[in-house]
Amino acid sequence: MADFITVAVIAIYFLLMLGIGVWASGKIKTTEDYLVAGRSLGFWVFILLMIGAVCSGMSLLGVSGLGYRAGWPTMWEQIFVPLSIGFCVIFFGVKLHNVAKSAGYVTVQDYLAHRYQSPTALRSLSAVAGIIVSLIYLVGQYTAIAIVLMWLFAIPLWLALVIATLVTMVYTTIGGLYAVAWASLIQSIILIVGIFVMAPIIIFYAGGFTHVNEYLATVNPNLVMPWMPTGAFAPAYVVSFAIMLMVGLACAPHVINNVLAVKDVKYFKWAPIVAFAVYGIAMFLLKFAGFAGLVMVKEGVFTLPTVSNASDFVILYGIQYSLPIIALWAIFAVIVLAAVMSTTDRLMLTIGAMCSWDLYKKILKPDASDKSVLLLSKVIVVLSALGTMILAINPPDALASLIWMGIGIMLSTFAVPLLAGLYWRGATREGALASMTVGLLSAVVFGALNYFKITVLGYNFANLPVHFSFFPFVIAIVVMIVVSMFTQKTDQKILDETQTGWYISKQ
Amino acid sequence: MFGVPNLTILVFGGVTLVAFAALLYWGLTFGGHD
Repeated sequence: MADFITVAVIAIYFLLMLGIGVWASGKIKTTEDYLVAGRSLGFWVFILLMIGAVCSGMSLLGVSGLGYRAGWPTMWEQIFVPLSIGFCVIFFGVKLHNVAKSAGYVTVQDYLAHRYQSPTALRSLSAVAGIIVSLIYLVGQYTAIAIVLMWLFAIPLWLALVIATLVTMVYTTIGGLYAVAWASLIQSIILIVGIFVMAPIIIFYAGGFTHVNEYLATVNPNLVMPWMPTGAFAPAYVVSFAIMLMVGLACAPHVINNVLAVKDVKYFKWAPIVAFAVYGIAMFLLKFAGFAGLVMVKEGVFTLPTVSNASDFVILYGIQYSLPIIALWAIFAVIVLAAVMSTTDRLMLTIGAMCSWDLYKKILKPDASDKSVLLLSKVIVVLSALGTMILAINPPDALASLIWMGIGIMLSTFAVPLLAGLYWRGATREGALASMTVGLLSAVVFGALNYFKITVLGYNFANLPVHFSFFPFVIAIVVMIVVSMFTQKTDQKILDETQTGWYISKQ
Repeated sequence: MFGVPNLTILVFGGVTLVAFAALLYWGLTFGGHD
């Protein structure tokens, strides 16, 4: 399939990303420059960095793939994923940014260690938990990259993974958050413009919006309803799904850490609605493109490959048959790569920050020089890229399931200690430690029982009426409240310093 | 409408509008300082 133009388009994109990395590397003088871009991000760079971090491999392949499989009931994803940016900015960003500026936070673990007076235990636990969930999430991203490169170039999976990993790894390693943020600016623009142009073409080719919906209704009337009658995407599932996406993504380490890098808190005024509108419309279009793909498959326009994750290919095949011009496929491949790489780079940098800053500088070797911390950050970025590349060689059945599992674990682990820490003065160090530990472990247990369809005491966990993350999330809340009630309260001075209380901002 | 039941349009349209209104309210009332 690959011809000279295709190779040239992809090569130009990769060179552009590497060029950003080289440019950004000149701005890196300290660890703070590397990990929080010197707290200098402007309004649009911040918004597009957030969109880039949230918009992942699932956003293009998984969103349309899920639309292909289950129709309109999956549309909730397109409301609550864009809302996660607003949730993060409003409920976490304002306070964290203000405190971070005066206290010098580099990661959200700095906040947890400060607020809960736990410089070692909670910091290391949250860093380790953050690294685990980021790695799970990262495997899903590399799988998406591999799907695109395999489709476009018909090359083996390992080669696709090596190419994608090397490019992302190099610009992230040398340029830190400066490179990630400016690469995300370019990637998010490519992504949004690309979706706005290409999704309507696929929908038009399938017979138009109304025809697609009418056809869906003939395949299965539930495909045009707001929810399914039972099982996944039934009303109870939808509620748990909405909480998971909106709150879980908002507290994901690679998303929440971005609020520390903004130049001015006033950017948080309009960032939520701008991000919701821009990203929301793009995601709606993408979901409709997945519906259109289903119509084209049912009408025999094309057939999907006989692989276990066939639905993740629907947008690629849709564009291939709607736009029979090879150069345009290459451009679309760049759009997908942009979506995936804008999340992957942020994840790798976040893992680097948690290892070098939280575990090494703050716990293992407090007197470490800034130079050695910076070097370790770069080494960890390389190692995390290579490690997850190896893990991604055996891709999961459905991209969406794996990525949701990562978000579900993020929700269960981080949401309660963060929200309780920011808004409840009664939350204690022991409460946070217990909540985070129990949340993480129960999420892994419930996630595994659900994913592997295990039956316990006659109940099959594949049939949970809600998303699996709902149970560990509730358990984490209960543990936080109960343990905090019976343990020593936090110093009032610390609570005042960290602006803890039932308010978002003091005006 | 558009080949989709009115219930579907009302539910998704309603939730989207509420979310949009809430974010608009935030933008209009947030002072931009701590």
